[in-house]
Amino acid sequence: MNITLLYGTETGNAEMLAEDLQSHLEGDHEVELSNLCDFDPTTFDPGRFYIVVCSTYDDGNLPASAQPFAKAVAKAKPDLSDIHFAIFGMGDSEYDETFNHGSKRMEELLIAHGARKIGERITHDASGSDLPEDLAIDWADACIAEAETRLVEDTDA
Amino acid sequence: MPHKIAIVGSGPSGCYLAQALGKACDDATIDLIDRLPVPYGLVRYGVAPDHQGTKAVIRQFARLFEREGVGFIGNLRIGDPSTGADLSLEELRSLYDVVVLATGLSADRRLGIPGEDLSGVYRSGPLTRHWNDHPDEAGLVPALGPKVVIVGNGNVAIDILRLLAKEAPEFAGSDLAETHVARLSDRPITSIDIIGRSAPAEAKFDPVMVRELGKLASVRFRIEDLPPETEDEDKRLAVLRGLQGVGNADASRTITFRFGWVPTRIEGEQAARAIRLQRPDGADTLELACDSVVTAIGFADDASMDRERLLIDALDAEAGVAAPGLYLAGWFKRGPRGTIPDNRADAQALAKRIAADLAAAPTAGDKPGADALRTRFAHITDYAGWLRIDAAETRDLPADRCRRKFTSVEDMLAVARERPETR
Repeated sequence: MNITLLYGTETGNAEMLAEDLQSHLEGDHEVELSNLCDFDPTTFDPGRFYIVVCSTYDDGNLPASAQPFAKAVAKAKPDLSDIHFAIFGMGDSEYDETFNHGSKRMEELLIAHGARKIGERITHDASGSDLPEDLAIDWADACIAEAETRLVEDTDA
Repeated sequence: MPHKIAIVGSGPSGCYLAQALGKACDDATIDLIDRLPVPYGLVRYGVAPDHQGTKAVIRQFARLFEREGVGFIGNLRIGDPSTGADLSLEELRSLYDVVVLATGLSADRRLGIPGEDLSGVYRSGPLTRHWNDHPDEAGLVPALGPKVVIVGNGNVAIDILRLLAKEAPEFAGSDLAETHVARLSDRPITSIDIIGRSAPAEAKFDPVMVRELGKLASVRFRIEDLPPETEDEDKRLAVLRGLQGVGNADASRTITFRFGWVPTRIEGEQAARAIRLQRPDGADTLELACDSVVTAIGFADDASMDRERLLIDALDAEAGVAAPGLYLAGWFKRGPRGTIPDNRADAQALAKRIAADLAAAPTAGDKPGADALRTRFAHITDYAGWLRIDAAETRDLPADRCRRKFTSVEDMLAVARERPETR
């Protein structure tokens, strides 16, 4: 399947996870990787499945590299109703009131423009004991399995 | 032959630069040099021991050594040999095509008021390094409290406030050593006043750092000098208002935020016993009785690298170009402002500049680099040595701790130099 990995990062941790997912998926899929700050929201392609990795920064905000994307979406107001995405969040439960609000904001932004979410948004906790790639690889495989049927069904419907 | 690049300082700026250089230059051999046998600088020794999530960037940096072929040269001090450095900057430059200084700014800015050298006055740098088990501060014996005044309103001041305000169980999951917890509970702290020069809306801390204080188990908060509430006010004000009055009346510690006060004098004969404050316009004064004062008003150059001269003579100080083949990065370049990710963005810009300079004026590629260092200095350690230290620090841990750090360079070296069993 054609997959685009998009990441929103502040410290580089989300970028590293996106690169890990790329390495994991490349053998079986055609994979593109882009920083959200370099991605034009008017170029979403219904034939691709979008996997977004997004961290949280400061007081529950989008990370720096996701902010230009959010502004571009607000300006262009693209119709994303035939776009499928899954989203993985990264946060730190030390800051529990705003834990993973960055990925939540990104999810809400995409859904507000009609995009269809596949799978659940799951979140990694930097203060927890597991590694982000251990969570994300199984999650991505499951999302892709669902996307393979959904992309066809939703297009036929 | 690839370009040989040495980055002095393996803290976040140096590591982010190595990462960005790896992407920007196809043909470079990069070595990160540190005066300690352990890498990561401020991430290991400046980020608070109870902020392990912030330290998670280390996983990115480890990949430099594990996958990207970056070398780690530990236990090598660059600087003035007459003050104990192994190698001068000039000598290092003769061995590499490019040298980048990313040694940070680790000295504390001084208040510049009478009384700041009294006993009982502590500076944020030594204190945070001590709590992070930096070998330079292993001998510090802080005796803080019962009444503490923190001067400063940045994130470091908030870190110190939080560490002083926590009870022992609240350090679960951190790597704060038991000795520090025991010393902190030896003299129970009853009050902490934190003083800022600016108004609350202009305070330097990140709102999330203050919001986190709301989780503290056994404190009550008092926020003085808040202006009347307005619509759409700064997040700092909203967060502070959220803390006002939080906590039980019988909590063991009172934390008081005070804004718009300038310290003018620390009173005491040998030891600090009070601090005098004044409004910036001189309109009003206040004297707070205290047993300890902690200053956390920013950082400055420790003078080990002649930074001032480097900046004056720089070809392009703003871009970090000191001289052909000599660059400055991170706080060492731009001063003590900005967070860890700010240095990442900075490193990416500098890497582009270095790559462009190398492309414009290719080097002969005949510099010996790390080989010459290893031949000359038998005491140098490497990444494998750090991995042995790391393994020893994370083995057989005390309850609720994620690491137990070595506090002396000798102990680090002994472990770093253990040879794996041969058979």
